[in-house]
Amino acid sequence: MRPKRRAAPALLAAVLLAFAGGAPAAWGPAGGPLRAYLPDARAVPGWAPDGGPQEFEGEDLFAYIDGGAEIYEEYGFRRVAVQDYKDGGGKSLSLEVFEMETPAAAFGMFTFKRSGRGRSLALGGGGEIESYYLNFWKGRFLVTLTGFDETPGTRAGLEAVAAAVETRIGDGGEAPRLAGLLPGRGLRTESVKYVRGRLGLANAYDLHAARGLDFAEAVKGDYEDGTALIVLAYASPQALASAWAELRGEIARGGWFERTDAEAVYRDGRGRFAAFAPGPEVLAVALGADAAAARRRAESAAAGTR
Amino acid sequence: MRREIGRREFFRTSAGAGLTLAWGRFLAVPAEAAAKAPVVGVGIGAEGEAALKAVRLLGGMRRFVPKGAKVALLPNVQSRHPGTFTHPEVLRAVVRMCKKAGAGEINALSWQTAKQWEDTGLKAVLDAEGAGLRIFERDESLFTPLAVPGGVALKEARPLAALAGHDVLINMPITKDHAGNKFTGALKNLMGLNSPASNRTFHRPDWQTDPEAIAHLDQSIVDLNKAVRPALNIVDATEFIVSNGPFGPGQLFRPRKVVAGTDRVAVDAYCASLWGLEPKDIVQIRKGAEQGLGRMDLDKVVIREEDA
Repeated sequence: MRPKRRAAPALLAAVLLAFAGGAPAAWGPAGGPLRAYLPDARAVPGWAPDGGPQEFEGEDLFAYIDGGAEIYEEYGFRRVAVQDYKDGGGKSLSLEVFEMETPAAAFGMFTFKRSGRGRSLALGGGGEIESYYLNFWKGRFLVTLTGFDETPGTRAGLEAVAAAVETRIGDGGEAPRLAGLLPGRGLRTESVKYVRGRLGLANAYDLHAARGLDFAEAVKGDYEDGTALIVLAYASPQALASAWAELRGEIARGGWFERTDAEAVYRDGRGRFAAFAPGPEVLAVALGADAAAARRRAESAAAGTR
Repeated sequence: MRREIGRREFFRTSAGAGLTLAWGRFLAVPAEAAAKAPVVGVGIGAEGEAALKAVRLLGGMRRFVPKGAKVALLPNVQSRHPGTFTHPEVLRAVVRMCKKAGAGEINALSWQTAKQWEDTGLKAVLDAEGAGLRIFERDESLFTPLAVPGGVALKEARPLAALAGHDVLINMPITKDHAGNKFTGALKNLMGLNSPASNRTFHRPDWQTDPEAIAHLDQSIVDLNKAVRPALNIVDATEFIVSNGPFGPGQLFRPRKVVAGTDRVAVDAYCASLWGLEPKDIVQIRKGAEQGLGRMDLDKVVIREEDA
């Protein structure tokens, strides 16, 4: 069953947000209609709204994204506005403005959805345009634009509409601190995935474990030398110790990981070495073709976050 | 609650014999995997031509659609993003092949919205080719409770009742990425025929993406396939997303293939291999093979591949 989430009336939501202090006015109409962020007919030369906007809130997201809403819920979803646009030549694109619960949630969904193989864009907190779609995040908003072909005209339209949305959102927000804890040397920054739960982690790297993964947040990055590093942060040292004991038990049972001669270094089902290094508050997992290099990276990361 | 139980009992007891007759042609044959090596036809090229070729490699549509038969089609209309729904030209080719085989009536069955059918361009193809589109409300009375033979996680499937009024079911998914269980194809597409309320039970309460929850989901998919067996599976693998599935937008992969076969496990195993997935790592494929729905070992499958 999906997480229970009741759609709060707009007024109540606004009051709660005010008490929580989580929605600066500069981010736009908290509790107000998301359609305020949608460019109108005069905002983007050559592109005009096609039909009316749609909005989905809370669990209604499952009606809009049938079979794919869980990841948004895992990061923390509030609502989404959807609007189609058309140009004079009949090309069309779809704009989705997702309001997430926090800037960290928006940043996380952005890192989940980008491939890291597109062209980076200086939009909001970060953006990327790929062959036919564009994602950027700003504040607690994730913006996705999808074209229906890969022509230069469509791609130009994606960028133009995205720029118009970006100006409407106003001030941004910070990426989560954990994302900055990955050692920067050799890091392919476009590969970074920020994760808030098991579904995100399973898509970044599947540990094939049912227990030991009650982490608070995690981040994964790929490095130029072919290794990858995952840092899992837990709520407390006690939570980490308990989780690590469980996770280690799961790994030892086999199935996906095989033991190696080295302590806390295993070989995964794809033949890569996975080195685990618990620190006081984070668990570092490094992946690579070389066991010793993976172990060094994991231990260094666990120590560096103290 | 009492009334619902009574209705179910009615289906299972007093009308049980008639139900079996009506649904018999859609029930899975448990020994499917024990038969001789399954054949998978792979057409390569533009969408329509590839579909035509794939079915020809199996011996042609007449092998699956008897003259005068009422044919139910199940394309995927989950999203309108590129590479997430069955390509309209694949649908057009299948409708034309069914007509040429002498089908008496062809209908796409769905509980998805009319807008989804319009946005994907699939409705326009059905209209143009003279095939029907029957969209049903998400009303449980429009779905038929069917006991799942050998059901492990799912004891009762609830396919659209309208299916029983047809002679042949052609399953027409697109293969693509799925964030939850990594892969979607022929086996999973039958959820598009099963009631949304029943589909929700495939997800455990307070869903967490861990191996046990995925095992439950994929076991439910396998069980659903024990209750409903398409006569033919025609999978669009011409262009599909390999990330951000099943909704997209995501990275597109373009093998330009359409994959057809009666063995859903073999068809899915082949499709998974297209983008480097190991069939044994996809729980629904592995369980489907273990529980007799088909073969996942591609060395024991006859793969006929030909350029369109």
